[in-house]
Amino acid sequence: MAPGIQLRSTLSRSLLPDITEEQLVYVLLEVSAHGVPTNISKLPLNLCLVIDRSSSMRGERLQQVKDAANRIVDMLTDDDYLSLVTFNDRAEVVIPAQRPQHRPDLKRMISGIEAAGGTEMATGMALALQETQRPLMGRGVSRILLLTDGRTYGDEGRCVEIARRAQGRGVGLTALGIGGEWNEDLLETMSARENSRTQYITSAAEITQIFTDEVKRMHSVFAQDLQLRAEVRPGGMLRSLDRVRPFIATVPIVEEKDLLWTSSLGDWPGTDPQAFLLEVVVPPLPAGDHPLVRLTLRYSLPGANLMNQEGNLVLRIGVRPSANISYEVDATVRHWLERLVAYRLQAGAWQDVEAGRIEEATRRLQMAGTRLFEAGQIDLARTVQEEATRLSRSGQTSAEGRKRIKYGTRGLMQGEGMQEREV
Amino acid sequence: MIRCRNCQANQMNGAIFCSECGESLLNVRPARETTASLNQQSSDMPVVVEDVPEETTPAPLLALNTISLVVINSGRRINLEAGEELLVGRKDNQRGIFPDVDLGLDGGYDAGVSRRHAIITPDHGAYLLEDLSSANGTFINGRRIAPQSPTPIQHGDELRFGTLILRFELN
Repeated sequence: MAPGIQLRSTLSRSLLPDITEEQLVYVLLEVSAHGVPTNISKLPLNLCLVIDRSSSMRGERLQQVKDAANRIVDMLTDDDYLSLVTFNDRAEVVIPAQRPQHRPDLKRMISGIEAAGGTEMATGMALALQETQRPLMGRGVSRILLLTDGRTYGDEGRCVEIARRAQGRGVGLTALGIGGEWNEDLLETMSARENSRTQYITSAAEITQIFTDEVKRMHSVFAQDLQLRAEVRPGGMLRSLDRVRPFIATVPIVEEKDLLWTSSLGDWPGTDPQAFLLEVVVPPLPAGDHPLVRLTLRYSLPGANLMNQEGNLVLRIGVRPSANISYEVDATVRHWLERLVAYRLQAGAWQDVEAGRIEEATRRLQMAGTRLFEAGQIDLARTVQEEATRLSRSGQTSAEGRKRIKYGTRGLMQGEGMQEREV
Repeated sequence: MIRCRNCQANQMNGAIFCSECGESLLNVRPARETTASLNQQSSDMPVVVEDVPEETTPAPLLALNTISLVVINSGRRINLEAGEELLVGRKDNQRGIFPDVDLGLDGGYDAGVSRRHAIITPDHGAYLLEDLSSANGTFINGRRIAPQSPTPIQHGDELRFGTLILRFELN
């Protein structure tokens, strides 16, 4: 059998009552590699590390970053490219884009990095974009790995613009924030594309692990240009699409034409389990079995020289007289939905805080805590409830609590967020 | 539609969590809303239900287009405005269910009346009774009616919700 990607779906309810109103069905879509040989040729990686070396990085943080960079030098193969840019008040290219052939030389350059000065990110990003475009690669994965611990002042707009330009040219961004001071709105805006993401590092001790994990992820990319298409039966609608694994993120959908929704899903590192949650509106239907949605996943497997592949799945729904229908919902679908709802609630709460609606924000956080408790994320639920209490008492939230909740609910933190409960 | 018991937002049937406030909707049974009960959302008070004990105050002179439901075992007469859909059930403040005819006052809980039990709809001068997939069923003159299929009712018919018996009267 030819290698490919398989789609599997679970519906919140597979039988619906034959009522005369629209009904909502949640679909958990899991995609998995099928028949892809484990020795499929790795795609070359074109990696640029962008390191904040402002004075606040001095000490353990910078030392950990250097250790991590050295580890990456060892992990890369001779087909890969590495570059390294540092920034404080200005930016410089420490390692110009090159194949890691002279590893001791590269490590010597890394050990020379010193912390001093302020934080000006945009010039660092501009140099990173320049370095990632030097290598001429027919195929491969290009990535900027940005690490910062502080706020950049006055050049936020430029940072976002450069990130967009990079993403538009197929260069993804992993933005890592360490400590409590960095600007999560900026990093999130910069990485708000399907091929990018932001992660929160709570302590310097995690840096090496997170850096090396990211390189492993990028090395395991085997499918690219994933696109999901959903054709819904007349009268129906795709209300939303969210990624739930490996981390929670809303996926923008476009109604390309009547009853056809499409969405870009970016690259797929094979180490990541991929799952999505769809909300589908079902029109009133007579008793019987009906096709509801036709899902098509388009993708390329450049390592196997298979371009423009397709996987299909038709979701069917049974409609029965309402007296025969119970309201049981699938437990796995419910679990992921519960976590997604918690994520949405906390996101809404921060907007409320911005707008000064403290009571509303507190309510949302409390409800997010309830959802997390029920989803089995006890530690995170406590953090959320502490923050809700702080908010209702003082009208303020803590920068650290907010970051923990934002990245914890998405599953983007070491520790609490990453432990996936299987149901 | 179902209504969130926490924030009263209307949600689509099949929704598992409220899209407004995140409350679980799993135990909220879907049922059709009456227009009357929708209006009550703003006032938060049950309207229409008028509690007039038969023996003390005889039924006032009613306009032609009113209907009454008489609870047989208590004699309570419930006079209702005609012309609108009327929800029969039990009031539940927590879940935001305010039926036009609240049989909770007549031992409805023990009699097996569902919160949203049935709906009475005017139909060109006549009336239809529809069971909303209630747990213990709706009966006309002792005959159980199929859920979600509106069935005509006449003046004098005996209506049974669970085990609670009422007489339907056209005035």
